[in-house]
Amino acid sequence: MAAPSKATVVLKAVKKITVQFCPFESNVRSTREFLALVGSEKARTTNMNCEVIPVVKHDKSEPVVDITYVDGEKLLMKGANLTSSEMLSAFQSRCVAKDPQAKVGEKK
Amino acid sequence: MAATLCSKLLPKQGWLPLTQSVRHGSKAVTRHRKPLHIQKQKLLAVTQYIPPAREFPPGAYPSQTKHVQEDNDLTLLMKRELKKLFEDCKMIAVVQNSSSSAEDMMTLRHRLYKHNITVKFFPNKVVRSFLSDSIYCNMGPLFVGPTVMFVSKEPKVKEMLTTLRGSPQMTLLGACVDNTLLSAQGIVSYSKLPSMTVIQGEVVSGLSMLTSHTAYLLQRHPAHLSQLLQQYIKQQSSDGSAEAAPKAEEAT
Repeated sequence: MAAPSKATVVLKAVKKITVQFCPFESNVRSTREFLALVGSEKARTTNMNCEVIPVVKHDKSEPVVDITYVDGEKLLMKGANLTSSEMLSAFQSRCVAKDPQAKVGEKK
Repeated sequence: MAATLCSKLLPKQGWLPLTQSVRHGSKAVTRHRKPLHIQKQKLLAVTQYIPPAREFPPGAYPSQTKHVQEDNDLTLLMKRELKKLFEDCKMIAVVQNSSSSAEDMMTLRHRLYKHNITVKFFPNKVVRSFLSDSIYCNMGPLFVGPTVMFVSKEPKVKEMLTTLRGSPQMTLLGACVDNTLLSAQGIVSYSKLPSMTVIQGEVVSGLSMLTSHTAYLLQRHPAHLSQLLQQYIKQQSSDGSAEAAPKAEEAT
């Protein structure tokens, strides 16, 4: 699996991320990789208030990533047919849109 | 080239040609793409590679012959170790760690070592190929992404759960306890089970309850009768003693 373009994930505009999946299904690979990227030490240090909550179920349900932003907006991603890089790019584009000042400050 | 020209055009010493063409000849190794000689160009055009025409793109259908890769020695060693592990240990739990720093890992390992639980890392491919051969093939889909194995000889599920609650980034995926595959909720309910002696006591008491009830029913009638007779004897003896007492008073 090729790594996504940006190595670090900035979670400044995110309040809570809930990753829900059933590990015995075969379509959870991308969701698990997304969890690994988002829950990494680097990502968590960008925002200590953000909670990353993995939920492990066993009811053949679809893998779902539920992201709640600081301003109340919710992003729901159904990871059954998505790759982890697609999910990450969608998530990061919204993060950047929410918090452009921080991003621009970093780039400068 | 200049030397050969000179040797042909200068038969007499000191005779310069009438026209001197300044050739801009580049060397063999240039920074730009040197234009190919026309003969070389023609040769390349004639001998160009034309790939065979495919009816379908290469990834469309699965390959007919599965290319079985031979295991190299390290893989064999790891497989042997895995086999020994599965035979020895009663409890094997699979946990995904989205991240842990080295210190977190050290503290976790230390806490688990107190309960005789060891932490093992194996490459996913090796584990998957080993599991598909053995009877634990249904554990295969668990080993995707960054996974760690917790193994222990005794199924100490409760302690493991309490230790894992301390580290938030570890996600418990499943476990194989006593050759039974358990999911996350299964592990939690397994930890809530009482110990073996308690369960045995409960079973024995439940079975013996029926027999004791039967025995009680059988003995109910004679017991009732004996109770009534005892009551009668008491009454008689109290009447007799009441009669004897006034008679004794009369006598004296």
